[in-house]
Parts: sequence; structure tokens; C-alpha cells
Amino acid sequence: MSKSSSVISVSGLHKRFGKHQVLKSVNLDVPAGSIFGFLGLNGAGKTTLIRILLGLLKPNDGRCSVVDMNPQFDALEVRRRVGYMAENQTMYAWMRVEQIIGWVSRFYPDWDSEFADRLRQQMKLDADKKVGTLSKGQSSRLALLLALAHHPRVVILDDPTLGLDPIARRDFLRDVIGYLQAEGVTVFFSSHLLYEIEPICDRVAILHDGRIIKCAPVDELREQVKRVLLKPADAARLAEVPGVLDVESREGRWSVTVENIESARGPLAVIGSNSLSVVDLNLDEIFEAYVIGRREVVDV
Amino acid sequence: MFIRIESSSAVPIYRQIIDQIKYQIASGGLRVGDRLPSVRELARQLPVNQNTVLKAYDLLAREGLLNRRQGDGTFVEDAPPALKKSERIKQLSAVLAQVAAQAVHFEITPDQLHDLLDRQIKTLSQGDQHNE
Repeated sequence: MSKSSSVISVSGLHKRFGKHQVLKSVNLDVPAGSIFGFLGLNGAGKTTLIRILLGLLKPNDGRCSVVDMNPQFDALEVRRRVGYMAENQTMYAWMRVEQIIGWVSRFYPDWDSEFADRLRQQMKLDADKKVGTLSKGQSSRLALLLALAHHPRVVILDDPTLGLDPIARRDFLRDVIGYLQAEGVTVFFSSHLLYEIEPICDRVAILHDGRIIKCAPVDELREQVKRVLLKPADAARLAEVPGVLDVESREGRWSVTVENIESARGPLAVIGSNSLSVVDLNLDEIFEAYVIGRREVVDV
Repeated sequence: MFIRIESSSAVPIYRQIIDQIKYQIASGGLRVGDRLPSVRELARQLPVNQNTVLKAYDLLAREGLLNRRQGDGTFVEDAPPALKKSERIKQLSAVLAQVAAQAVHFEITPDQLHDLLDRQIKTLSQGDQHNE
């Protein structure tokens, strides 16, 4: 696939580990210049997909391209062009900040030493400090610096805020906006927390049980996914409602979470004989409806 | 300018930014001619996606509340609302429909709701005097 507007493109990707099917026909397109949130519960397969994108794992089936290259055949070249921050990235604790920057720079022909030095000063990282003595927040900044200093067109961040306190996390998101989005770099940002990454993303994809179950601009999620409360007059007609994510029945009333309130409102009004009330949901509730929602009426 | 994003809220972030800028203009916290932070600055500060800030500024400019001067910045505008009164009423009605539904859901009586609305309007005009 050579769509120049997509920096990362994945189609029909399958990956098995023994009998365990981790990815089942995953399709994704990451537009150039966007911040793309890649969301899933722990163990959903996020890191597996990222490792395939970097050519560290081979898929069983399907295609993918990263900056117009196939990571299966050009793994080294892909890793040179992409900035990558691994989950729980460990760095040599005995090295000084300056040493690790020099060491990593040798892997990248396009390394920009002046830029790296400027970043280090802006990020307030002491060149002489031992890596092992940095705080978690400082380590994540250093890892980001190491992923940026060769001017990649795309940066892949694998759950980079895991284990950061709220203040370090906010600072990290600021750096993503200030150093990456402001420079037009495409960001592929994986996380297991929707509310945490949503504010900085253009689009989010939700990976669940090996499939992408939703991919949408973030505002669309908040504006279209709604919960509707009603007194069901004709329960059998629930099947006619499009995009039902979750149904709960309690004391003769229903709470129905739908993907798109506009297309579901009509059919729901029929079932509820016009006694609808529409409730806004926060992002955790939306994520939950997608990944653990029940699509049929069960009395609770 | 201080903007606060409620990340767990159901209100889209660009809406939260719009509402808070409108509130600050209405209460005198922002005055005609005041310069707003650039899209990049505000996006980094909050932090939110730059396109979200851009969307909020563009929509406010379309309503005539902000003036975006190419290469110069974004300023609070002194212009009559760009929308016709019928359109303004239509937009407000959409917000009120949600409020009314929520009130019924929370078992708030119409009288209580009217009181609450009066109180909010009073708070706004007090903020205005405070800034005079």
C-alpha cells in the first residue's frame, strides 16, 4: 500500500503465538501529521502490533507499511526512520545522560547532535547525571529525546506514561504536543487509558480481542456514543436498534448505550413510546461500553 | 487566560474551551482587544491537541467573538453577534433541551430550575461589575 497520506498502514494483519490468536485481521491507517491513540486493555495485543510495525516480529498474514516501507523486508531502515519508545524502556543505569545520548546516536545516520543538545537543555536533563539516578519523569523525557533526535517522520510510543505520576504524565503529554505535533511529526501513541490520551489525540482506535472494534475522531466518540434511559413498551424490537453497545435492565427500565445517538434515536423512541432520556457519558464509560458491553437484555 | 479541561467530562474538549472563553468574555475576564494565547501555546499549556484549540478559535471567530488576524494573533472582537437572533435562540434552545431533560431526570422542579438559572445570570453580572 503506498498511500502517501498514511504514514502507517495495516491491512488484514494476523498474528498467532502457538494456538493463541493475538491479532485477527487488524486494519489501520494513520494519517500523516496526526496524533493517533491506540487503545486497548493490557494484553489486548498492542505491543505485538507495534513490534510487527518495527519489524521485530513477523505477522502470519496481512500487510503493513511504515513510512512507505515494509518492516518485514526493511526492518533496519524502518527502525532508522522511526522514533520508538518501548514500554517500560530500560536504559543502562550506569551511563551518564551525555554518554547514553552519544551511544544511541551511533545507530542513526540522521542523528542531529545540536538538536539533541538543545532538547536536553530544554528538558532540563543534567548531562553528567547517571541514568540510574533520574526520576521516572526525567527518564521518560530522556527516552523521548532519544526517540526524537534523528528527526523521525513518525514516532511510536508504547504506553509511555505507564507508571508516571499525574504531574510527570501531564508534562510528558505537553512534550508530545510541543516537540512532535508542533513539528508535524506523526505520533502513534498506545495506552490502556482512554481519558488520559484522548485530549491530545486526533483519532483513536480501540483494539479488543485481537480486532479494531472502533476507529474514530475523538469528538465523534463523545458526541455520538450516548446512553438512553427508557421504559420499554415493546422489548422484542431492540434488535431493530442500530449500534447497540450495552443494555441493562433494572426495575422495568432499560439503559441502552448506543454508538450513534442520531441513528438510534428513532427506533428507541418506538420501543420506549417516546419516554426517552439521553445521558452523556464520560470517556471511561464509553471505553467500557465498547470492551465489556452486553448487547442483549439481561435482568440485573 | 485560564482554561481548565475536565478530562472525565462528557462535553467535548473544544466545547469546554469555547464555553470558558465565552464565560470569560461575558463576565469581563476577557475584554475587547485582549490577545489570546496562540494555538500552539494554549495546546501545549493545557495540554490538548492543537487541532482542538484551532477548532474552538475558528468557531468563536465564526460567531464574531474572536478576530483571527493572519500572522498577528487572535483577539477578542468588539462586534455585534454574527448570528441572527432566530439562530441564536435556536442554538440556545438546543442547550436548554439538554438542561431540561437532565432536570427532569434529577427530579428538579421547573421553579427550582428557574431559580438556578436566575442565580447563574446574577453571578455573571456580578463578575462583570467586579471587573469594571
